[in-house]
Amino acid sequence: MFCTKVKWLAAIAAVALVALATGIMTSAATAKDIVLSFYYPVAVGGPITKIIDGYVADFEKENPGIKINAIYAGTYQDTLTKALTAFKSGEPPDIAVLLSTDMFTLIDEDAITPFDDLLKTDADKTWAKSFFPAFMENSQTGGKTWGIPFQRSTIVMFWNKDAFKDAGLDPDKAPDTWDELVADGGKLTKRDASGNVSQWGIEIPSTGFPYWLFQGLTTADDVRLMNQAGTTTYFDKPGVVQALQYWVDLSRKYKIQPEGTIEWGTTPKDFFERKTAIMWTSTGNLTNVRANAKFPFGVAMLPAHQGRGSPTGGGNFYLFKKMANEERDAAFKFVKWMTTPERAADWGIATGYVAVRPDAWDTSKMKKYVADFPAAAVARDQLKYAVAELSTHDNQRVTKALNDGLQAALTGTKTPQQAMTDAQQEAARILKPYQ
Amino acid sequence: MSATEKVSRGSEALEIAGAWLLALIWILPLAYAVWAAIHPSEYSAHFAPDAPLTPQNFIKAWNAAPFAWYFLNTFILVTMILAAQLVLCTLAAYAFARFSFAGRDVAFILVLLQLMIMPDVLIVENYRTMTALGLVDTIPAIGLPYMASAFGIFLLRQTFKTVPRELDEAARVEGAGPLQVLLKVYVPLAKPVYIAYGLVSVSYHWNNFLWPLIITNSVSTRPLTVGLQIFASADQGIDWSVITAATLMTSAPLLLAFLLFQRQFVQSFMRAGIR
Repeated sequence: MFCTKVKWLAAIAAVALVALATGIMTSAATAKDIVLSFYYPVAVGGPITKIIDGYVADFEKENPGIKINAIYAGTYQDTLTKALTAFKSGEPPDIAVLLSTDMFTLIDEDAITPFDDLLKTDADKTWAKSFFPAFMENSQTGGKTWGIPFQRSTIVMFWNKDAFKDAGLDPDKAPDTWDELVADGGKLTKRDASGNVSQWGIEIPSTGFPYWLFQGLTTADDVRLMNQAGTTTYFDKPGVVQALQYWVDLSRKYKIQPEGTIEWGTTPKDFFERKTAIMWTSTGNLTNVRANAKFPFGVAMLPAHQGRGSPTGGGNFYLFKKMANEERDAAFKFVKWMTTPERAADWGIATGYVAVRPDAWDTSKMKKYVADFPAAAVARDQLKYAVAELSTHDNQRVTKALNDGLQAALTGTKTPQQAMTDAQQEAARILKPYQ
Repeated sequence: MSATEKVSRGSEALEIAGAWLLALIWILPLAYAVWAAIHPSEYSAHFAPDAPLTPQNFIKAWNAAPFAWYFLNTFILVTMILAAQLVLCTLAAYAFARFSFAGRDVAFILVLLQLMIMPDVLIVENYRTMTALGLVDTIPAIGLPYMASAFGIFLLRQTFKTVPRELDEAARVEGAGPLQVLLKVYVPLAKPVYIAYGLVSVSYHWNNFLWPLIITNSVSTRPLTVGLQIFASADQGIDWSVITAATLMTSAPLLLAFLLFQRQFVQSFMRAGIR
C-alpha cells in the first residue's frame, strides 16, 4: 500500500512537471515590441487559419516593432463569449473580428472604442469612407463608426441548371420574382405515384439564424425589421407578416419546399445530392458549392416582390478598450492594413466572402477572378439593394424572440400573424430599458 | 405454472424488450457515426450495403487540426485533474467523515453548496483568478478550478461513513496512525467508488468545452474538444463524414477503455450506488 502511494505521488509530480513545461512555452517577443492580441473566429488548423497566419506574418515583416498574436477562438458565438469574459476579467483582446450584429452588445458592455477618434489624416478619413455603404449600416450608430467590415456576406440563390433543363425550364434563367419562384418551384418538385418527393423546388434554411434568411424575404417585401438605433423592432408590421406567410406557403400551400424547419448546415448537401433544385444560402458557401456541385449551377440575386434585397451578414473588426495610445495606433494600423483594396480582393477570392470595398473589385486580380467565375460578382451587384442584418440592443434575446416566432410559424404551431405579434411583444419588452 | 409466475414471466419479457429498445436507441447515433465515417461522403445519408469503404475521412479529419497535440494535452489534463482530485477529495472526505473539529458542519455545508453552482457561472471570476496567478493559456489553468471537487468529497465522505468503526478501531489498536488507517482501511474498502468516480471525472473533463476554450489561446495548451470546433464552421456547410470521423477518433480512447473495463465499471457503479 505504501509502495503504491509513492508511485501515485511520483505520477502526480511527473504530470505537474509536464503541464508546467507546456505552459511555459509562450511567445518570445522582445521587451519593446508592441504585442497585440487578435481574436479571430475560427478554430485552429483549417485553410482559413493559414491565410490569416500569412497576413499576420506579412504585416509583422512590414511593421517591425509590432507583434500580432492571432488567437483562434472557434465560432462567432464562442469568440464573443471568450472576448467578453476576458474583457470582464480585465484582460480584453486588443483587436477582434466579431459579428457585425454584436455592435450594440459590445457598446452596451462598454467594451469597444469607436474608430472616429483615430481618423486623424485625410487618408484615414477617405479610408473610413471606402467601404460599401450596405456594410456600414451594421457598423455605425449614433454618428460613430464602431466596426470596420472585414468578412462580410449576403444571401444569394443557387440553382441547379440540370434540374431546370429536366423540368423544361430555361437553365440560364433563375426565377426573378416571388411568383416566378412559385411557378418554377412547382415544375421542379418531383413526386412519385404515392406522393413521395424525390426533389424539392426550393429550400430556404430555417435553423441556426432563421431571422437572417427571413430578412431576404422581408427586404423584398420592402419592410425593415428594426431602426438604425437598434431600439425598436417592427416584427408585426403587415409586410413582415406577409413575408412570413409566403415562406410558410412555400411548404404548406404550394408544397415546393419541405415542411417544418430546414437545417442550415446540411442545405448545401441537399443541393449537391439534388434533393433540392434551388437553395438560399450565404455567399460564404460559394467556394464550397464550386468545389462540390457535380452539375452546372447558377448564382442569382434573391427574387423580388415589392422591391429587391438581401441582408448583409458576417464579421467586422472591433478595437477593444484599455489599450495604451501607441497600442491603439498599432491596432488601427493593422486594421487598415487588413482592409486595403488588394487584401480585400485576395481575401474575397480565397474565402468567398464579398470583398468589402468597391475599389477591391477594380484590382486586376479580382477582375480576372470575376471574368473566370462571373457568379462571384452577383453578391456585389446585390449589395446596392442590401440592408443591415437584424441588430438591436440586447441582440441575442431579441433575435431569439424572432427566431422562435419564425420556427413556430414554419412548424405550424402558430399562424404567421400570431407568431409575429408575440415576437414583437417579447422584443418590445426586452428593449424597454433602451427607449 | 401459477398465475403469479405467468405475470412475472410476462413482465420480465416486457423488461427485456424495453432494455433492447433503449439499447437500440442509444447505439443508433454511434452506429450512424461509424457508417458515415467509413464511407465516402456521398453515402453519409444514403445507406447502400455495397457502399465502398474508405479511410479518407479519418485522414482528412486528422490533418485538419494538430490532433496529436490535442490528444497529448487532453491526456495530461485529465490525468492531472484526476490525480489531484483523488488526493484532495480523499483527505477532505476523511476529515469530514471521521474527525470532529470546530466548524466542520459549516465547512461541509459550504462544500455541498458548491454542488449547487454550475461551474459556467464562475467563468469570469475564475478567469480573473487565473490572470492573477499568471496561468492564462496553460493546462493547469484548465484543471485548477475542478480539483477540489465537491462531488468527490461528498461521495467519498458518504462511503467512508459506511465503513464499520470496528475496523478503524482494530487498526488503531494495532498501532496505526490516522494516515495509515486511511490508507489501509478506508481507501481499499472504497475502491469501487474510486473507480466509478474516476470514470465520471475523466469523461467529464475529456468532454469539457467552454472553460478550456476561454482560458486557452494556443495549440500547445488546447484539449481535443476545442480542436474539434474546426468542423463547426457552419458558414461553409457541414460534411458529416469528416465530422463523424473526427468525433469517433477523439472519443475512441474513452470508448475503448470502457469496452475493456466494462465489467469493472458496471460493478463499481452498482456498488457505489451512482447509476
